[in-house]
Amino acid sequence: MVAKIIHLIFLPCSEATLLMEKRNAGNISSKENRKLSMHLKICKWCRAYKEKLEILDEILKRKLFNEEKSKIHDSEIQDFKEKMIKKLDI
Amino acid sequence: MTKNEVFKIWVEQHTERLLKRAIYLLSDKGDAQDVVQEVFLSAFSSYESFEGKSQPLTWLMTILNRKVADFYRKKYKSEPQIRLDHFFDETGSWKNNDVLNDWNVSNKETELLDNNDFNKTLEDCIEDLPSRWMIPVKMYYLQEKKAPEVSQELNISTTNLWKILQRSRMQLRECLEFNWFTKQE
Repeated sequence: MVAKIIHLIFLPCSEATLLMEKRNAGNISSKENRKLSMHLKICKWCRAYKEKLEILDEILKRKLFNEEKSKIHDSEIQDFKEKMIKKLDI
Repeated sequence: MTKNEVFKIWVEQHTERLLKRAIYLLSDKGDAQDVVQEVFLSAFSSYESFEGKSQPLTWLMTILNRKVADFYRKKYKSEPQIRLDHFFDETGSWKNNDVLNDWNVSNKETELLDNNDFNKTLEDCIEDLPSRWMIPVKMYYLQEKKAPEVSQELNISTTNLWKILQRSRMQLRECLEFNWFTKQE
């Protein structure tokens, strides 16, 4: 109950999770950073979420750079090249 | 080499990478082809400014990023409305306790990504995000998390970019929670 009140007064979870994004990107002010750290000390939900966020960030970093998996057939690429050459009129 | 000869080689050599990047960003083959076509046309008309200072593919990728941003701005003219009431109650506290479930994956991210079934689940969860959010998220990672640049290019406020990232990740977390982690027990 006390924790709930502190949440409300200082920083609700909906805001804390936003500040996590800013911190993650290195774009957080020192005041926000302090508020977030305080919040994490008393909130087990956000602590749990933060841990998952770090895993997710790592996974996404690796995953989202993998564009080789984009699904397109060689024949479609070939067609595109031919169309492009015509379009450029070269 | 004449400009025409250069472009014949570029189209031959770089089309595949450009198309794959565009499909990856836009999640739509047709839109991707339109955008890559614009990339080549734009490169052709501004070839004089290229001067060979960077690798051709690097230059073309820069143009591609700009064209994807143009596409996004044209498609989504107003600032997005991001709602969080699925996750938080009116006091801003978590509605559900499933976030507390243990994932048991400390330092095993790579193992997870080696697992084909996990990859499939993750891809499905990513594709479930609306493209209005997915494009900024992907650009954010491609540009190594330079949020101010991404939000400027896409013409959304930085605050809204944070909200998009927050909302997208909350959804991904929940999607993986239900479709992967709780199923593994």
